[in-house]
Amino acid sequence: MVTLTIDGKEVTVPQGTTILEAARSVDIRIPTLCYHDRLNPIGSCRMCVVEIEGYTHPMAACTTPVDDGIEVVTSSERLTRIRQDSLKLILVNHPLDCPVCDKGGECLLQDLTFEFGIDQLEYQAAKVERDSQYASPLIRYWPDRCIMCLRCVTACQEIKGIGAISIAGDGYGAQVVTVDADKCQSCGECLQVCPTGALTEDLSRYKGRTWLIERVPTTCTYCGCGCQLELNVQNDRIIAVTTKDGVGINKGSLCVKGRFGYEFVNSDERLTKPLIKRDGKFEEASWDEALDLVAEKFSAIKGEYGPGAIGGLTSARCTNEENYLFQKFMRAAIGTNNVDHCARL
Amino acid sequence: MAEILFSSWGGEVVDNRQKDGQDFEPVNTVDLPEYFRQDEAVKALMGWYGIVIRDPETDIVDLSRVYIQEVQNKSCGKCFLCRIGTRVMAETLERICNGQGKSEDLEILKRLADSIRESSKCNIGQSGPLPIIDALEHFADDFAAAVNAKKSVTPGTYHAKLTAPCMDACPIHLDIPNYVECIKEGRFAESLDIIREKLPLPGVVGRVCVRPCEEHCRRMNLDAPISIKFLKRFVADYELGKGKEPEFTITPSEKTGKVAIVGAGPSGATCAFHLRKMGHEVTVYERFNEPGGMSAMGIPDYRLPRPILREEVDRIERMGVTFNYGTTVGKDIKLSQLEAENDAVFIAIGAQMGTTMGVEGEEENYAGYISGVQYLLDINQGRDPYPEGKKVAVIGGGNVAIDCVRCSFRVAKDDVNLIYRRTKNEMPADDVEIHDAEEEKVNFHYLTHPVKILAENGKVVGLRCVKMELGEPDESGRRRPQPIEGSEFVIDCDIVVPAIGQTMDLSLLEGREDVKTTRWKTIVVDEVTKQSDQPKIFSGGDCETGPGALITACAGGRTAAFNIDKLINGQPLDYSEDDYFDKFFSKVKVFDPAEDIGFLGGRERKELKMLDPDTRKFSNAEVEQGFSINDAMAEADRCLRCYRVATVKV
Repeated sequence: MVTLTIDGKEVTVPQGTTILEAARSVDIRIPTLCYHDRLNPIGSCRMCVVEIEGYTHPMAACTTPVDDGIEVVTSSERLTRIRQDSLKLILVNHPLDCPVCDKGGECLLQDLTFEFGIDQLEYQAAKVERDSQYASPLIRYWPDRCIMCLRCVTACQEIKGIGAISIAGDGYGAQVVTVDADKCQSCGECLQVCPTGALTEDLSRYKGRTWLIERVPTTCTYCGCGCQLELNVQNDRIIAVTTKDGVGINKGSLCVKGRFGYEFVNSDERLTKPLIKRDGKFEEASWDEALDLVAEKFSAIKGEYGPGAIGGLTSARCTNEENYLFQKFMRAAIGTNNVDHCARL
Repeated sequence: MAEILFSSWGGEVVDNRQKDGQDFEPVNTVDLPEYFRQDEAVKALMGWYGIVIRDPETDIVDLSRVYIQEVQNKSCGKCFLCRIGTRVMAETLERICNGQGKSEDLEILKRLADSIRESSKCNIGQSGPLPIIDALEHFADDFAAAVNAKKSVTPGTYHAKLTAPCMDACPIHLDIPNYVECIKEGRFAESLDIIREKLPLPGVVGRVCVRPCEEHCRRMNLDAPISIKFLKRFVADYELGKGKEPEFTITPSEKTGKVAIVGAGPSGATCAFHLRKMGHEVTVYERFNEPGGMSAMGIPDYRLPRPILREEVDRIERMGVTFNYGTTVGKDIKLSQLEAENDAVFIAIGAQMGTTMGVEGEEENYAGYISGVQYLLDINQGRDPYPEGKKVAVIGGGNVAIDCVRCSFRVAKDDVNLIYRRTKNEMPADDVEIHDAEEEKVNFHYLTHPVKILAENGKVVGLRCVKMELGEPDESGRRRPQPIEGSEFVIDCDIVVPAIGQTMDLSLLEGREDVKTTRWKTIVVDEVTKQSDQPKIFSGGDCETGPGALITACAGGRTAAFNIDKLINGQPLDYSEDDYFDKFFSKVKVFDPAEDIGFLGGRERKELKMLDPDTRKFSNAEVEQGFSINDAMAEADRCLRCYRVATVKV
């Protein structure tokens, strides 16, 4: 264990802990922008710089491991100047399109600009035209809004192990690009970690404001994994699916279906009642009617040809419990061992 | 030497601007060369440690503009302040130089320079704005005048270069910070691509390099250098473990030709690789039946397993290079024939003969007297050089001597002695090698010098030695060993192995006069282009430099390849700007071991796992076990990325 002081407060943490983690463990807040709980520290934004007594150079709290006996200062005039300058430099090129940005209202850059009271910009540099080539049909990239914090690049590499995005070019002209479009699975991991509106979900553009939507927690129905997600609902319509970092077994990750496959819910073509074919035409029926019909037909087949004439196939989308019940039904109610699962086919 | 007018290099300000020539204070922190190249005098330098001005006509504002523009061009874009901040600075200075300065500009420059320097992620941003801060402080009047002048400044002539202490120290100038960063980010294939832009043998160099880079690693000023060598080995092994064949693209030069290479060692193989990449038809002649030259024959398998070496050279063969093994140039085929049949010949035959000690009994051909080179060659080919002998005395203090003693255990010699005339401190062998030999229980006899080889019936039976003491320092600065009278004693041994140096067998030249040689039997070539007096003949590696580092041999091969390409394309073999910068940086040091970095250090260097010394010494299994993925990424994360920019006004 290592003992240090942060803003005069004594902290004891295991060796290898970063200064940022140590500060958080005693509720000392150091501002961060590129740091994300699920990613290895990136160190691109320099918002978390702190001073260490006896060392002339400020250091990034997110990437610096603690050392015994050090005295850390998390706020000073110098640190505030650096943090303000970091934000001001981002804003040199950042469009003020917050009113139409899907991230407006829950944007980390907005919050920090507010916190550090940036109300004027003395710095100027010519605008760089950036290609907006990074995008899948489901994810939209807004290069002007991108602050190049590299969270998306890191998440694609570290969480998914894909590495479809990277940084290209040097200096001011450097930009985030797709280096391998074929590898992209549109999982939206990049979208999930983006702190600004640089990556938005292209299905729900301009459909609603973040502060007007209700977020309804639920379990994804696409497979048996049971990922936790939140349906973003406005006026009884789902306008997006999000998920919370660290929640459920998925901890903030989703796949392309879970994140983007929600439009069927409000589709006009979706069946909401059972249909029974009578005189060659489908007619709406009640569940009781439908189930009685199925039971009757099964009994007839079983009576005429025996239970061996019936087989059942179940789905990977079902949970273990549902699959268990299905085989139980086949064996006990129908009386056959003819039961299998699509994952084995 | 022309006096310096102003210097802030290394934080020490010397200001001679208001003084007469004879009262000029000297500058001790930097040795600024007088000329960048023959016809270009160095007028000023702006770089990572400050400003040095020689010529009073230097326009500091224009120099600052060019310098910060270069910093911006080299900024990687990965942290906000450096990426955008240096751009704002560059545009502001550009505006001032165009006569459109504003009153608030200087304040903005100062504030931004401070913020960028204090908080950037890597050394480009940390060191980049430093000379601008110096300039704004010490040349305030010039800047104020430029802002008020409202007219354009006449731009000067400049040379600029990005370097890093490790990169500069590396003979082949590998882009170390870049490939280390790729490892940190888990992009191993990209890391290897960066290494292979220059070096086709990462697995070999990652095992046996003498690593000048690590001696110039700035992290050393904080705690311990980055394990650069083993990180290189890691990415090479990772690819090998995955069974992936690297893809090399061949981009033919305008004109391609035929080149013969003599020697399939590191230098020859590197030369072949680069020539092939430029589309030339390359044939390599090698006297042994396998590739690697002295790195295969002289370096034991427990340090460099030969399958690694073979695979890396075989990949060059699969690129389309022809290797004629078992062919000795000079014997099986004449050099003149190669010359006649090819557009150029690259001689890289290495230093393959041992030198003698000048000790009584050495000329007698006693059984049991074997040169170090021969001893290692036999063992590496699976033979016990002298099965009758069991007690070995090796003389020398370099890596070859250590290889000889450690190899002795591996051919079941049980009593192994190393004799060196100075102390452990002066020993030129790698510290790691010395340590490993100590672990394997070699008997070290320091301050000991051989006097006579004792023999009976034509067989070695002992080595008479004398004890030494260190006297006054000699020209090399090392204290000269002197024999202590009456201290003679005998080491009981039946094998004596001198490993005190190597020399070249230049018989392939057949005494011709158009290719000059030195008295140390090295081939004379232009130090930069590697071309001999005979325009078609180039040389590199140990036979050009004398016995040296493997990576230096590779660098020689690479340089020769580019110059052979120029020759074939009828271009002049001029020195490039990079070559002149190499000379420049030999004076203006890129690394300052005394620099106070001002960071919190204390991050432990990751070490490799090693086989147990008691059992490994009897086997040829590789002693050092490579990094795990996690260790490699953690080690790479320690890199400070010490890129820095220099701008020279000429």
